[in-house]
Amino acid sequence: MKEYFLLQFKILNRKMIDFGLPLLIGYTLLPFIFVLLSNYLFEKTEFANYAYGLVAISLVSKLSEPKRNDFLKSIFNKYNYKKLRILENIIYCLPFTLFLIYQKQFVFSVILNLCVIIIMLFNFSTNLNITIPTPFSKKPFEFTVGFRKTFYVFPIAYFLTYISVSVGNFNLGVFSMLLIGIICFSYYSKIENEYFVWNYNLSSKEFLLKKTKTCLIYFSLLSLPIIITLAVYFYNEIDILIVFFLLSYAYLTTIIFAKYSSFPNEMNMSQGILIAISFMFPPILLIFIPHFYSQSIKKLNAILND
Amino acid sequence: MIKIEKLSKFYGKKQVLNSIDLEFKKGKIYGIVGENGAGKTTLFRCISGLENYKGNITSDYTKLKDHLGLLLTEPFFFSKITGKEYIQLLANARQIELTNIEDKNIFDLPLNQYASTYSTGMKKKLALTAILLQENNVFILDEPFNGVDIQSNLIITEIIKRFKKLEKTVIISSHIFSTLADTCDEIYLMKNGEIIKKVEQVDFNKLENEMKEFTVGNRIDKLELK
Repeated sequence: MKEYFLLQFKILNRKMIDFGLPLLIGYTLLPFIFVLLSNYLFEKTEFANYAYGLVAISLVSKLSEPKRNDFLKSIFNKYNYKKLRILENIIYCLPFTLFLIYQKQFVFSVILNLCVIIIMLFNFSTNLNITIPTPFSKKPFEFTVGFRKTFYVFPIAYFLTYISVSVGNFNLGVFSMLLIGIICFSYYSKIENEYFVWNYNLSSKEFLLKKTKTCLIYFSLLSLPIIITLAVYFYNEIDILIVFFLLSYAYLTTIIFAKYSSFPNEMNMSQGILIAISFMFPPILLIFIPHFYSQSIKKLNAILND
Repeated sequence: MIKIEKLSKFYGKKQVLNSIDLEFKKGKIYGIVGENGAGKTTLFRCISGLENYKGNITSDYTKLKDHLGLLLTEPFFFSKITGKEYIQLLANARQIELTNIEDKNIFDLPLNQYASTYSTGMKKKLALTAILLQENNVFILDEPFNGVDIQSNLIITEIIKRFKKLEKTVIISSHIFSTLADTCDEIYLMKNGEIIKKVEQVDFNKLENEMKEFTVGNRIDKLELK
């Protein structure tokens, strides 16, 4: 069992190195960010412990994937398997437990640990045998897959728009549009297998143009009900609405170009930092977009034999 | 025609392909056999343009990859894409308009189910169906019979024979020698990144026996099975 945990430690180290994060910096930076975010959450809301618990449980539940556990069952006996799963869940949950103790939420930390131990008894299938219908089944896989994973966000966003109009809160309306933007943004954060790019009989420029065009069209379609509603009910603030809509376009273009600028590898830390900087200072996109574009063309030329 | 001259490939310092010369003609079926790690898949990846290499690969096409149907040993599938959407995705990539996909479902696959939930054999059949519908002129099939049931095996063999009549070029790798013997015009034997033998149809049986002798030899005796 010791070997198993050592192996998990090695895997974690390898993931950090692959991400371009030196181990020393990783092990300093990650706890720091974790504490920072946790503090922020506890300062902002009185229900932080509930949200915190939910985040911890949802993370731990990822360890209950059936295939993974079937594999563990096949190599460990029943007693060791249970011991391993309990230990694993508690270790996964440890940062949350420590922070709850720091917040003097002792009862909550005990409940949380009991929950993660009980979770060990269940196997959560992440592959239900139901095909969720999608309006995007004809074309790009990003929206087909993405819509199926996040379909529940769209009614929430539209409902927020409805509330923003009912209570006369324009900011909430803009947030609902940005929420759609963030969701579409997330569709492009993971790199696809090189085979799916290789198959295109397009030049690198045409490929990027097609990807960007499709993304912007589908984002526009999904946010259209929000834009029309906000434009009608908050006509005086239409200029702000247009600015945010165009910014969403710019960020979506950025993520597509950034994604292919490291193709066929995942985006690395330097690209992540550049994107983070652009969120703090949007005008810098005027430099980053052409930069990512030229890098993408170079990377795609190799695979599309352009 | 595809012409390969002095093709070499290194992964770091390790040489995986060593000065390979080959020629694949229209309307011919070629088999590539060899042990695991002999370099078959790397050779296919080089021909497809998925890998950089030293040497020359030329063809009748300006961009060979746009006319090439590539079946990978282990096809990759997105987690929430149905079989039908996978076929559509690959057709769209080649600007091909597909209609009535269900009618072309020759392997009777559950096309409305997520492809990632398919069995190994079903995934292979789906990937094969998708490249068949891309209207390619050249096919590289890496282990097309792996994990596939006997009925589908027969269908794939017949498809390959039909390709020959349609003047397509097909390159297959397989560990199942009988299927290669049934379909191929020529078989190349690969070892340690080199083509060590070219065999014509008349000598297929001889090659099979030689391979058996060479591969199995007295290895099993070393296990001292009791």
